[in-house]
Amino acid sequence: MNFVDNKIPLKIQNLVKSYGPIEAVKGVSFEVKAGEIFGLLGPNGAGKTSIISILTTLEEPTSGQALIFGTDVTKQPMITKRNIGVVHQEVINSGFFDVEEILEFQSGYYGLSKNTERIHYLLNKLGLFEHRRKKVKQLSGGMKRRLMIGKALVHNPKFLLLDEPTAGVDITLRETLWKFVLELQKEGLSILLTTHYLEEAEQLCQRVGIINYGRLECVEPTQYVIDKFTQKKIILQLRKPRVLTSRYLQSSEHNNFTFRVPMEKGLGDLLQELEISSQEINDVKIVEGTLEEAFIAVLANK
Amino acid sequence: MIIFYTLLSREIKRFMKVIVQTVVSPFVTSFLYLLVFGVSLGSQVNDPHGLPYLAFLIPGLVMMSLMNNAFQNTSSSIVTSKFSGDLEDIRVAPITNHQIIWAMIIGALVRGSVVGLVTYVVGTSFYYYMQGNFLGVSHPLILFYFVIAGGFIFGLIGICIAFWAKTFDQLSAFSAFILLPLTYLGGVFISIKSLHPFWQMISEWNPLLYLINGLRYGVLGVSDVDITRSVIVSVVGFVSFYFLAFWSLKKGSFQRW
Repeated sequence: MNFVDNKIPLKIQNLVKSYGPIEAVKGVSFEVKAGEIFGLLGPNGAGKTSIISILTTLEEPTSGQALIFGTDVTKQPMITKRNIGVVHQEVINSGFFDVEEILEFQSGYYGLSKNTERIHYLLNKLGLFEHRRKKVKQLSGGMKRRLMIGKALVHNPKFLLLDEPTAGVDITLRETLWKFVLELQKEGLSILLTTHYLEEAEQLCQRVGIINYGRLECVEPTQYVIDKFTQKKIILQLRKPRVLTSRYLQSSEHNNFTFRVPMEKGLGDLLQELEISSQEINDVKIVEGTLEEAFIAVLANK
Repeated sequence: MIIFYTLLSREIKRFMKVIVQTVVSPFVTSFLYLLVFGVSLGSQVNDPHGLPYLAFLIPGLVMMSLMNNAFQNTSSSIVTSKFSGDLEDIRVAPITNHQIIWAMIIGALVRGSVVGLVTYVVGTSFYYYMQGNFLGVSHPLILFYFVIAGGFIFGLIGICIAFWAKTFDQLSAFSAFILLPLTYLGGVFISIKSLHPFWQMISEWNPLLYLINGLRYGVLGVSDVDITRSVIVSVVGFVSFYFLAFWSLKKGSFQRW
């Protein structure tokens, strides 16, 4: 049974977490909107896991508050816990039990006794049904990750916390997991994702927050962050060598010219500015900015 | 109730999955104790209560097995969960600390009782072989009370130690340097009445003496200490360790090692 009193899955206000003299989270505020995938990005030690630990009640905040569907995680944890599913960063190896037993126990922890239908649905969906009698150590790396996601979903949560769910996973499996995460979003789940793979965040997240040294440096739609903090690379290859001067010119070699232009600037604008006609061009290559570049730029600016 | 039942069934299934380690191995240990101390050396020991030494030894060994296994069950359950990381699952789910404690100590009591019962059955078989009759139970309710008290108290101690231990070494150090000496010096193998008055006085400060003799009174109807004191010590022990275990869960870390 879920208690959803408020439509905002997560609202964090001035959250502070100190470990002795070290302030790991410094007054962070942001919210995750209903139905979105929000990426919390940052280098190691930035404070991401501290925030996740507070949301899952593994840690208590020093000050500030975190509300899940309007309920304070510190004051009423029994209510907030029912509404969230958590995929931990590291694979949990429950050595004594098989896959189905693990999911049965997990259901029981949420007060669900006859949850076989949901468990079998998830096992099928995650491609684990035929492996349901295996112990965790008998599963492949990918299966273990899928089991972690299955565990987080047994009680049908409305808000999912994915703490680096694809860490150490190969690219093929990563893409399978991304597809599954997008399916979950379509089913109505709101998701908070922390990841080191910026490509993952770029593909999945509608909005991202970049955190560094415990401080949230920006919270914006993903494309906006890319547009704001990166430049487009335009490589022109002309039919004949000629001299070009432009403030956007980064390098030139014979008849090849590389320009760095703001993301909003189009190829036509550049050609017009350089007074180059289309007949003079042999080839054009345009490389868009990436979230990874934006991420590096944000961290470098601060 | 479903949450509590799930936790309890997990605890019981966990030790049943490694039954050789959790039940068969303690059975072998008890068998050897009874064979060496009870049968071979027992004829040379005079019991101050006037009973055959084997009769004196059996309830002591039953309580020792029960306490050790209750402690092992909760402590190893928590420590292995810390190691594998599934203790985080328990904290993240909507489970109260009281539910965790009760499920764990009932699990500890079940394992402790199974091993204690096995020890009693083996012991009474030896007794039959030596004396020609089975060892009966003088006060079943008192026996029942001390089985529960011993299982619960040592289950609680296991929770406290496992939550504060930072390594496997710290856990085994507690077993080796505190629990084992207190058990051995708590009147399992010898009556404290046969000791020098100074050592009798020292032994009376050992709380395990009261639990061991409480159970012995339940089986034999004789004890080295006053049974009322044994009950008081067990109640104080249970309440103190319950609060300590609750505090450990509240303040201790559920995060993986």
